[in-house]
Amino acid sequence: MARRNIMVIGSGPIVIGQAAEFDYAGVQACRALREEGHRVVLVNSNPATIMTDPDVADAVYLEPLTVRSVEQIIERERPDALLPTLGGQTGLNLAVELGRAGVLERYNVELLGTPIDTIELAEDRERFKEKMIEIGEPVAQSAIVTNIDEGLAFALEIGYPLVVRPAYTLGGTGGGVVYTEEELRERLDAGLNASLIHQVLLEVSLLGWKEIEYEVLRDSANNCIIVCNMENIDPVGVHTGDSIVVAPSQTLSDVEYQMLRTSSLNVIRALNVQGGCNIQFALHPDRSEYAIIEVNPRVSRSSALASKATGYPIAKISTRIALGQTLDTIPNPVTGVTTAAYEPTLDYVVVKIPRWPFDKFPLADTQLGTQMKSTGEAMGIGRTFRAAMLKALRGLDLKRDTLTEAGFEAWSASELEAIVVRPTHDRLFAVCELLRRATREGDSDGAVAACIAHVHELCDIDAFWLYEFASLVALEERLRAGASDADIDEAFVCGYSAQAIERLCRDAGAVAARRTGGAFRMVDTAAAEFPARSPYYYLSRGESDEMRATPDRAVVVVGSGPIRIGQGIEFDYSCVHAAWALKNAGFSPVVVNNNPETVSTDFDVSDALVFEPPGADEVEDAYRATDALGVMLAFGGQTAINLAGELSRRGVRIVGSDRASVDMAEDREQFDAALQRLGVARPEGKAARSFREARAHARELGFPVLVRPSFVLGGRGMEIVYNEGQLASYAESAPPILPDAPLLVDKYLRGLEVEVDAVFDGEDILIPGIFEHIERAGIHSGDSISVYPTQTVDAAMEERIVRVTTAIAKELRIRGLINIQFVIHEGQLYIIEANPRASRTVPIIQKATGVNLVAAATRIALGEKLRDMPYGTGLHPRTPYVVVKVPVFSFSKMRGVETVLGPEMKSTGEVLGIDDSFAGALRKGFIGAGIRLPGTGGRILVSIADEEKHAAVPVLRRYADLGHTLVATAGTRDVLEAAGIASEAINKIADGSPHVLELIHQRKVDLVINDALGQRELTDNYRIRRAAVEAGIACLTSLDTAKALVTALETVPGAPRSLQEYRNGALSTGDVHG
Amino acid sequence: MATPAALFLADGSRFDGHGLGYHGIALGEAVFYTGMTGYEEAMTDPSYAGQILTFTYPLIGNYGISGSAAQYARACVAGAVIKQISYHPSHHLSQKTLPEWLDEQRIPTLVGADTRAITIALREHGTIWAALAVGDEALERAERTLTDFVRTATTDGLVAGVATPAPYLEGPPGGPRITLVDCGVKRAILRDLTALGAQVTVQPYDASPEMLLANDPAAIVISPGPGDPTDLPQTIATLRTLVGRVPLFGVCLGHQLLALALGAATFKLPYGHRGGNQPVKDLLRNEVLVTAHNHGYAVDAATLGGDLVPTMTNLNDGTNEGFCHRSLPIAAVQFHPEASPGPSDARHLFAQWFASAGIPVAPLTPAP
Repeated sequence: MARRNIMVIGSGPIVIGQAAEFDYAGVQACRALREEGHRVVLVNSNPATIMTDPDVADAVYLEPLTVRSVEQIIERERPDALLPTLGGQTGLNLAVELGRAGVLERYNVELLGTPIDTIELAEDRERFKEKMIEIGEPVAQSAIVTNIDEGLAFALEIGYPLVVRPAYTLGGTGGGVVYTEEELRERLDAGLNASLIHQVLLEVSLLGWKEIEYEVLRDSANNCIIVCNMENIDPVGVHTGDSIVVAPSQTLSDVEYQMLRTSSLNVIRALNVQGGCNIQFALHPDRSEYAIIEVNPRVSRSSALASKATGYPIAKISTRIALGQTLDTIPNPVTGVTTAAYEPTLDYVVVKIPRWPFDKFPLADTQLGTQMKSTGEAMGIGRTFRAAMLKALRGLDLKRDTLTEAGFEAWSASELEAIVVRPTHDRLFAVCELLRRATREGDSDGAVAACIAHVHELCDIDAFWLYEFASLVALEERLRAGASDADIDEAFVCGYSAQAIERLCRDAGAVAARRTGGAFRMVDTAAAEFPARSPYYYLSRGESDEMRATPDRAVVVVGSGPIRIGQGIEFDYSCVHAAWALKNAGFSPVVVNNNPETVSTDFDVSDALVFEPPGADEVEDAYRATDALGVMLAFGGQTAINLAGELSRRGVRIVGSDRASVDMAEDREQFDAALQRLGVARPEGKAARSFREARAHARELGFPVLVRPSFVLGGRGMEIVYNEGQLASYAESAPPILPDAPLLVDKYLRGLEVEVDAVFDGEDILIPGIFEHIERAGIHSGDSISVYPTQTVDAAMEERIVRVTTAIAKELRIRGLINIQFVIHEGQLYIIEANPRASRTVPIIQKATGVNLVAAATRIALGEKLRDMPYGTGLHPRTPYVVVKVPVFSFSKMRGVETVLGPEMKSTGEVLGIDDSFAGALRKGFIGAGIRLPGTGGRILVSIADEEKHAAVPVLRRYADLGHTLVATAGTRDVLEAAGIASEAINKIADGSPHVLELIHQRKVDLVINDALGQRELTDNYRIRRAAVEAGIACLTSLDTAKALVTALETVPGAPRSLQEYRNGALSTGDVHG
Repeated sequence: MATPAALFLADGSRFDGHGLGYHGIALGEAVFYTGMTGYEEAMTDPSYAGQILTFTYPLIGNYGISGSAAQYARACVAGAVIKQISYHPSHHLSQKTLPEWLDEQRIPTLVGADTRAITIALREHGTIWAALAVGDEALERAERTLTDFVRTATTDGLVAGVATPAPYLEGPPGGPRITLVDCGVKRAILRDLTALGAQVTVQPYDASPEMLLANDPAAIVISPGPGDPTDLPQTIATLRTLVGRVPLFGVCLGHQLLALALGAATFKLPYGHRGGNQPVKDLLRNEVLVTAHNHGYAVDAATLGGDLVPTMTNLNDGTNEGFCHRSLPIAAVQFHPEASPGPSDARHLFAQWFASAGIPVAPLTPAP
């Protein structure tokens, strides 16, 4: 096939419902296209992805994913074809819009893979339903509605409960199960608004049916295969992204399995899908009757899970299919000898458990339904369901590594049953607590059987799963009651960690004596029928070992586990680069990680992938089984770095910065002593071992103070408190202070925040660049807009930053990466914190400057010196262009969550804007982040905290000068009037209709600026902010952000350019084809 | 206390676990099945007669035993090896648990063994004679018993053990009459043939040509069955006399027997194909079918000369999966169009064959 110019659209920032799985898919796609000799033009605004590395595609555009911006790129690049099905719902929707806008036709761009008509058919509920009826496939009785009255009419006819499913949305946004007319009205309003085509499907509830998924591939010659089927433990009613999912199905007979398989093939053929497709079924538990719930004609989160569950690379094969190849001609990448026309068969079980952000958001609505709420997931592989389940559970990194210690012991049966009936993220533990009580009740199995029958009655979870849970609960009870050697052995086989077993049976000696090395088994797609080449392993205790050791060459890279707020895809980026750097340096990377969405768990990345929770047991086993030189902890975020102590105790060699560096950076007293030696200032602060002590410190330092627990990531539990009352309420809601992790109390300085990532080899330092934050200190660095190169820091201060960074790196004995956050307050440089590991900003600075920081850190860990590498030393020269990182939030998916930003991180993802000017980069960043900018004549609802009113005037004047209308309540309006700025009046909520909330509900404003310094939940302002989120109106909660936005609005950004062009300094807009 | 049990392979290797079902020794060929569902169908498939079957999928028995999925009146496997068996199945059709059924069927069963290690051993060594011993007494004499068994072990006689001794009719009269040569037929084949409207006369594998042609059948179908096709010289000779007199269709062992009758050769596969995920290329329609397999022997494609045309080929190992005759209505496939267990991609084949021979058929309905 001739070399073609092919555009791939990515999925943009990480939001709930769309995470790293599309980076994994996109990387596979780009690779497959280039292997076939094509030139790849990639568009994705997410800088934390591997796919946006200039090595992955020929032209990488870190530009907003909007029709306008992509059209400009198409105009420059003139791609021959577009591959739309690898970028999630975002990429798919954008392709549809480009088609509708006539762009594809205008520039003669061919759409590869699944035709656009199929995409529209699958997404348009009504047409889809008609098609299914036409081919004789059952669907639930339903109605398509485009307004609330139609919905009410259908409900009157059918009754409740009903399922609301908006068309063309992501992760079921705006959907849900409704039981009453009031709920239906509310959901319809949200759902219609969330739908791209203002259309909602109302469906008869199939609540309680089994939810089963099939991952199917079809090529243009009509060949089809099933890659994998999956069964949700949570029956229909909970979004599959929020369900515990098992592959393959466990409770389906062969007749049922084949019935749904055949149906899947009928559907994919009727829809003319060319590539991957996900089909969701509801299966009646008592009569083998089924209904098709929905079809996703693209790669998805489920296909990433299916790929990792089976070893079959769906995205790669889908891409080849899109190029017109057929399954029987594509080589099988796992076995190397057979073809891709192969249905994997498993000899293990895979369990996925979602990771929810509720630990960070006490006010969030934790009820699970048809709208996805989790941010990530952990997958466990085991030879039994029990082992896979325990590994997935432990892999969530939630300090819950058993089923019966989740803090429900004191709950009443009816409280537990309430969760069982209307599920929250804790349903599994509530069920297990009920089972534990039944297990204790008597020695006959009768009590347990009765309990299982009762729980099944309450929630329809299949008894098969409940018996499996019960066997684990019984094992935990036996361990507690004086474990036999056989019980301990069984616990290891069932996937418990040594730590958990020790805690349960309180006999460390016995547990240590029973712990054997791990046996590694291969994931080979073939249940051992054929020898496999893919180096993909999991642990199975008590069985034989298949690991191919690579003595003296292996180095273990520890991953970061499931994606959560504060520890996202950025860490996977670093792990992948570390693995690549090891390969380039002639070593064998061994990756230990358990996140099925990511690139790091693609077995192509490493020489051995150990798909296990990155815990001490598994890392030690991987290290010993591969005869590794050492373990690298610096790239897997806090999850990995937290292993430093335990692994050192076990005699595992840590390469790079070691445990001493970690302790010195994290231990307040050690760190303070180090700073004192260096003469570096930090906001005055102290460690408190009790809340009483914390209060004493706060009084001494003077309010406001910043309080936070030590050893955490993402600002978990971090807060700025302005007075003793707030400190008291913090003490009430915060987790208890642990002896080995005191509470840190710091004087809060509201200055300019600056962040540095650097590598240090013992002698030289390399700082690729310094970031400056738009919002003043107090907002978590992950939630601030940040800019490189700095815009307001002078050369002398930069020089001081470099000096201090070097001194700290030396003092902490860093060998590799260090991340330092500073605040500049009244001309003074203070250090806030230092982390001896990769940070969230590593991918961004690496992308902006081209300095491969991770590779440098990896090589330093292996003993090389910076001066022998090509990256340079000292502060890297500033780039002539500016990059701006803008955080992206998923507040619309998190009902009830306060949107005001503070020291605890809330964003789920980020986008990058690149331009020649700061303002242009800002503008692109805002657009990329999905903030709908009001054109001239926009209406902006303004309310400003008293402390900020005067500072706000010049900013608001700039909005008015751009032709926008300000709308304000009395207090703010007075200030505006005094400054001579015209504004419209609107009532406060208490003053009655028409008031601010109504204005928002009716979407009569385009932007909300609601500055709420130091405020907490449950105020009027909180209601205003939530209303804006529900209505899809951008709401800025910091005056600094508002100032940045108006700066962006005042400018016209430059035309899109590829990262490669920026890097090469190529300013020509002429022919860019190779 | 669990009953000790173990699987002994003739190369001296041993795999331990605990025992279920019949306490004693099962002797036979050790083979493995890679399907993730379909244990009831597999264990009642007559083609597994004389074999000790290891399930590569680790959780077996999850949906119990329905009775309706059975392919034969009783369990046909000599023994079973399972990683984890379910004592608490959950399915609306379940009549009893798998452990109960194994007891009732007196099938020696090894549970908790490292089934993947066994599978790798079989893949590397090839299909091998084995003993499965349940209980202390059986374990003690297992190795000696296996050594004795190996000296004289043969697949000869397996077909006789499962084929019908006397003819019988299946399906209502009125439709086309089909005769089936029963070498160990599965219920699903009879189900699919009668679903096409045919009345099937099931004849023993050793029936004479006259018996097979007795009621002037529209076609003769040769069934699957256990063992080596060359163990059945009489059946092969009978089939040879039928060539050109009546349309002939073969499935699995039937495919091998027809090939031998028409002058081709068969050979023993290193470790057979047993599972539900074998990709087969239909060379005439140029499409891939995912098919159900259960065979240890294959037709040598190189010997399909003269009037025989290969129609299907296995995409994994290139072995022959089907052939037809250039001028006569003769066709056969190595895999199982009737599935049960396994995928239904090839369920159109019987109807296609009949249509090619001018036999009227009723439209195919989905499998029950």
